[in-house]
Amino acid sequence: MKKAISCWILAVGILATTSATSNQIPGKKQEKTIAIVNATIHTVSGPVIEKGTIIFEDGKITAIETQLTTPRGADVIDATGKHVYPGLMSPDTYIGLTEIGAVRASRDYVETGRINPNVRAEVAVNPESEIIPVTRANGITTFVTAPQGGLISGMSAVLMSDGWTWEEMTLKAPAALVVQWPSMTINRGRRQMRSEADQIKDREKQLKELYDAFRDARAYMTAKKAEQQKGIPYHNVDMRWEAMIPVLEGKVPVMVVANDVQQIQSAVAWATPENIKLIIRGGHDAWRVTDLLKKYDIPVLTGGIHRLPSRRFDKYDEPFALPKKLHEAGMRFAIISEDEAPHERNLPYQAAHAAAYGLPKDEALKAITLYPAQIFGVADRIGSLELGKDATLIVTDGDPLEIMTQVEMQFIQGRKVDLTSRHTMLYEKYKEKYRRTRSN
Amino acid sequence: MIDTLLRRGIVLLALFVLLHTGNAQTTPPEGIRKNTPTVHAFTNARIIQSPGKVIEKGTLVIRDGIVVAVGANAAIPADARVWDMKGQFIYPGLIDSYSDYGLPKAPKPTPEADGEQRRQRPVVTQEPSTGADYWNRMVVPQNDAARLFSPDQKAAEKLRSQGFTSALIVPQRGIIKGRSAVVNLGDGKPNDVLVRAGIAHHAHLGGEWGYDEYPGSLMGIIALIRQAMYDADWYAKAQEAYTKNHSLPRPEANEALAALRDVKAIPFVIEVNDELSFLRAESIAKEFGLNLMVRGSGREYKTLNTIKQTRRSVILPVNFPETPKVDSPEEALQYTLEELRHWDEAPENPKRLQDAGIPFAFTSATLDDPGTFLTTVRTAVERGLSADAALAALTTTPARLFGVEKQLGTLEVGKTANFIVTSGDLFAEKTIVRESWIDGTRYEIKPLPEVDPRGKWTIKGEKSSNDTITLALKGEPESLQGTVTKTSPHGAKKEVKLATVSYSASRLSFSFAGDSIGFGGIIRMTATVKPDMLTGSGEWADGSGFTWYAPRVAPYTPDPDTAKPKEVKMASFSPVYPYGEFGRAKIPDQPAAVIVKGATVWTSGPQGKLEDADVVVQKGKIVNVGRNLATPAGAVVIDGKGKHITAGLIDAHSHMAAAGSVNEAQQAVSAEVRIGDVVQSDDIDIYRALAGGLTSAHILHGSANPIGGQAQLIKLRWGLLPDELKFEGAPPTIKFALGENVKQSNWGDRFTTRYPQTRMGVEQIIRDEFQAALDYEKAWQKWEKEKAGTPPRRDLELDAILEILRGKRFIHCHSYVQSEILMLMRVAEDFGFRIQVFQHILEGYKVADIMAKHGAGASSFTDWWAYKLEVYDAIPHNGALMHEQGVLVSFNSDSDELARRMNLEAAKAVKYGGVPETEALKFVTINPAKQLKVDNRVGSLEPGKDADFVIWNGSPLSTYSRCEQTWVDGRKYFDMEEDKKMHEEVQKQRAVLVQKALVQKKAGGSEQTPRPQKRGDEFDHPKHDDEQGGF
Repeated sequence: MKKAISCWILAVGILATTSATSNQIPGKKQEKTIAIVNATIHTVSGPVIEKGTIIFEDGKITAIETQLTTPRGADVIDATGKHVYPGLMSPDTYIGLTEIGAVRASRDYVETGRINPNVRAEVAVNPESEIIPVTRANGITTFVTAPQGGLISGMSAVLMSDGWTWEEMTLKAPAALVVQWPSMTINRGRRQMRSEADQIKDREKQLKELYDAFRDARAYMTAKKAEQQKGIPYHNVDMRWEAMIPVLEGKVPVMVVANDVQQIQSAVAWATPENIKLIIRGGHDAWRVTDLLKKYDIPVLTGGIHRLPSRRFDKYDEPFALPKKLHEAGMRFAIISEDEAPHERNLPYQAAHAAAYGLPKDEALKAITLYPAQIFGVADRIGSLELGKDATLIVTDGDPLEIMTQVEMQFIQGRKVDLTSRHTMLYEKYKEKYRRTRSN
Repeated sequence: MIDTLLRRGIVLLALFVLLHTGNAQTTPPEGIRKNTPTVHAFTNARIIQSPGKVIEKGTLVIRDGIVVAVGANAAIPADARVWDMKGQFIYPGLIDSYSDYGLPKAPKPTPEADGEQRRQRPVVTQEPSTGADYWNRMVVPQNDAARLFSPDQKAAEKLRSQGFTSALIVPQRGIIKGRSAVVNLGDGKPNDVLVRAGIAHHAHLGGEWGYDEYPGSLMGIIALIRQAMYDADWYAKAQEAYTKNHSLPRPEANEALAALRDVKAIPFVIEVNDELSFLRAESIAKEFGLNLMVRGSGREYKTLNTIKQTRRSVILPVNFPETPKVDSPEEALQYTLEELRHWDEAPENPKRLQDAGIPFAFTSATLDDPGTFLTTVRTAVERGLSADAALAALTTTPARLFGVEKQLGTLEVGKTANFIVTSGDLFAEKTIVRESWIDGTRYEIKPLPEVDPRGKWTIKGEKSSNDTITLALKGEPESLQGTVTKTSPHGAKKEVKLATVSYSASRLSFSFAGDSIGFGGIIRMTATVKPDMLTGSGEWADGSGFTWYAPRVAPYTPDPDTAKPKEVKMASFSPVYPYGEFGRAKIPDQPAAVIVKGATVWTSGPQGKLEDADVVVQKGKIVNVGRNLATPAGAVVIDGKGKHITAGLIDAHSHMAAAGSVNEAQQAVSAEVRIGDVVQSDDIDIYRALAGGLTSAHILHGSANPIGGQAQLIKLRWGLLPDELKFEGAPPTIKFALGENVKQSNWGDRFTTRYPQTRMGVEQIIRDEFQAALDYEKAWQKWEKEKAGTPPRRDLELDAILEILRGKRFIHCHSYVQSEILMLMRVAEDFGFRIQVFQHILEGYKVADIMAKHGAGASSFTDWWAYKLEVYDAIPHNGALMHEQGVLVSFNSDSDELARRMNLEAAKAVKYGGVPETEALKFVTINPAKQLKVDNRVGSLEPGKDADFVIWNGSPLSTYSRCEQTWVDGRKYFDMEEDKKMHEEVQKQRAVLVQKALVQKKAGGSEQTPRPQKRGDEFDHPKHDDEQGGF
């Protein structure tokens, strides 16, 4: 047995140095059973297993053992000294919808107009985006990509960091309807050109527009459903309201972007009678209203952890300590970065920062694995290492929330994923330059 | 049509003539001459001659607009008109020490817009200039208030209502604004009311500036003032040389610079928006030997001691904040503690200046409504300012400051007859300014009528009655109240309030419900009033009339003031700096000795990383690092077990703690602007960065220009003032920039004309500037040698460039792509120097070998990329690759937020490229120190260096570690435990002040609307150097 393993170590070595001169090719469908052995397995949902084995077939986890097991015919990966984690999940980003921030032609995340429930993020995702392999290399196997702008921005989707097309990448769509809550505070800065009255008027107008959209959609749903009854005429299709039917039926949650306490309060007050499944995104002030959020069991996608305190009088660590407060209040939450898409790869370190300031480490890990999977209804597929779930996981030389840790291997639904990127390609290219300089 | 216009013209003319009461001797009279005698005697008044000098019952005599006698027993001239001022007070006329009265108003500063709004705003075209002006239209010292002035009756009336009889009027346009004048606030031609012209030169650190014209930043304003001063000096010399020798090339003509000739001979008043700009004004004054006065901000209390040390006089506004609107807990969140405390303490600002012995004069400037001036001054008096000091600030002090003390400010023989008549003590809440006299002419405000109807009168009618009917009148003459009382012979009383009363031209009429005292219906009565008798008629409810008369039974005595004395609430908390959140009452102690024992010490020096080691500090310096060191006597001992100690972290690229825009983006070359001029010591991000272990930060100009401004290295000594933050002796540096930002690639469609628009142009403009500096140097060398011809002009921009060429100033250049990096190194080599540090340098890895050979350092972002085209090839291995090639590498933040966790940035050099941990930490300690040439002072834990160190609860490279303490100069500037207490104090003070505001509001205070969080918000520009698509 030992011999077999040592031979496989060699194989791993070869796999790890995948060609650096070609662009990343999507992972091949899993054909053979794979067993990762001698690993410290962080199941997230259960206890940590030292020197365990995890086996997956056809992209699904089929066994997690506390001892060495090697099924016949399986590719065995000896992960002695290594760790296996579920793939990390970014609960909120716009990866795939942008390439170069300043280049207008590469921006695909804000549609014009204020009411766009019908636009779907996944259809605009560019599988060729260089940002995807860069992000994936730090262990992020899954991300929720969300449209922005307006009042109702559109439908977000859960995607995997691997695939030839957006269809292949999509794990779940729609994931949530994105709503931008209007600003509830009055800007009285000297540079503010609009008067207080005008700002209030504008805010009320936006609120009304938002409320009306949901009421109109509900009226549409009622009318469409009534068509089945005798004597009720056909109603022309309205793409916007059609898209909102699953939201009104409570099948798709509404992710409301709200940070200020007044925004959160009013969003909750709005959602409750509407019978909408609410998710608060941002939630910088969520710690001020934990009772309210808990009462209605509203989860918060909170962050970024790496931001400045909201107010001058806040403690310097207010953003760092926010997840701890939500955790202590017994709330459901996940951690987001609020960073630009190209920098999403630092999400794990933001989660760790919350742990540095009081969130238990295992909670920090859950906040970017299991918790977002639960919030977006994909916990049956990803988020933890459990039998029957997708074999979407990473092999590392340490805690993936530590910057210095290297992600050495990654599987998405059992497909082994290339961890090189535009960055490693350029790195290799210029290492070569200097190798030549030296030899000259 | 013409007819109407003509008629209207005539009416206006007539009006003017009527009002024209002055003495412009050279003006031909309109119509017949007016020679009403101008001799007046005011008797029986309480006369306040000057602050503290009171005549309880005296007489004032004026003749031809001049005080000729004043005293308890002053003789009344036989030709005088006598005014009985019984019960009234006479004060010297008040002086408004900073006013735009009668002058063209300043254009409103354009509200600044961010991002897209800014990019899309149309270009403001300048009006073409006429005449030989300064090149920059913000420098207009040739403007003269005396020339621009045109009296404004309506504004004068408003000012007079507040007791003002004179004002210093200041031209409103520009940054160097011109000369002021003192005028009287009477009606008439400018010739009549102008008291003295050419009082002072004026400048403004703020106000009329924006993105579209130079200067577009506070540091640009200061640079412009500075250059104009040097230009004025040069201009005088050049003109002098030319006068002597007309065969020299003729120097330019310049009215503005000519007007600055007397700039040191008369006061120079600088208008500031906050207490830090006060100190900036002082620096300018010191540099040029100016006789500075400061038009203050009302925030002087924040840096009182330092302001006191300047020994400057202050022209003080009294614009106190309104009560914060904190009705709901959520609304209260919009106020910082700093704002709440400003509300609580601003009304005590004048008192604190008085206590500190700082001379000050009051102005109504900055009040939205000058008609509220007296009310606010009274608030200041209520809050501890002495009435005498208040009066001095309105009379003798301004008169002295403006050199008109022989004419104005007191009521003494020989002075101008400018005074006011009040109903009582000027600073008492209910006192009314009844009239003012200016140049001996009377202006009514709320005068007492000649015959006072107030008092008690017994009404007698045609029919005699056994009942006594009494009329009692009180209140102000224009708003009388009264009662009618019927008293029966048995003494039974019935009283009814007057429903209406009016009094005008000695004619009184009133009405009341007769039923309540036994008559039917509503009774109306009218009378003419004589001092002791009313005579009149009336009408019963049935329409029949009657006549009546009423002898006076009692003179008017005001109701005794039964109101409880107002409870004055003084400021709740004692001063700290910075004011509000996390401020300090004093700077942290520097223990004689400190020892940290048994810690893991990352020295970033030759000793490397030591386990179970000690660090010994004495008097702010590290004296020893090693194992088992002796504890100095009396040392503060810190148990370092399980802790990690590093040198204080250093950020080579920051924009924190800078007031105003960090970009002077109006010119492609702005080497003359200096971040050092605008260090903002109360930026809360200083404290927040300390909490992340940062101890020094290199504050850079932005990247809008190929050649930006001069940078400033600071230590994060939170609680000290701007000059005290500056890193002593740090070699001067300057920001350069290349690529998309300087060619304005992402600024929007209207930014397509400024040179340069390509990387080709960037090279040329930099070369041109270096060449110009060399030529400039030659010109000076020639002049120094020959001292003949026209002297060269001192150019602050070229001075800075020349310093670079002479190795005295070091370039930190924002750069991304390899072509531009290589280009700049080659340009530098052509001019015989080297680039000190490339900033951001995201493609440095492509030319790292050449950089190493050139000797340029690299201060890089760790892993930012893809936010614009030029950073699409950025890779996180950049730092490691450059390091391997022998480039001195640091990691920078360019962000107040990232500056809080530079240690974690260092960890990325380990992750991406495998730099050893101790080397990686150097990327944020000794390497930036070397790049900034302060490695002899900071950056590592070595004996002899500053005791700038950080205590971490784990490895500084672990994401799970926290900074527990941060020491600078051997003083503990941050401590997690202390922070908790400070935050509790913040919460406590907020709660107290919110309650205070709620109580105040209940008591009827006016209300403030929440202001934005960041102070000095007019300076609130984007702070990122390299946010997407902009600065």
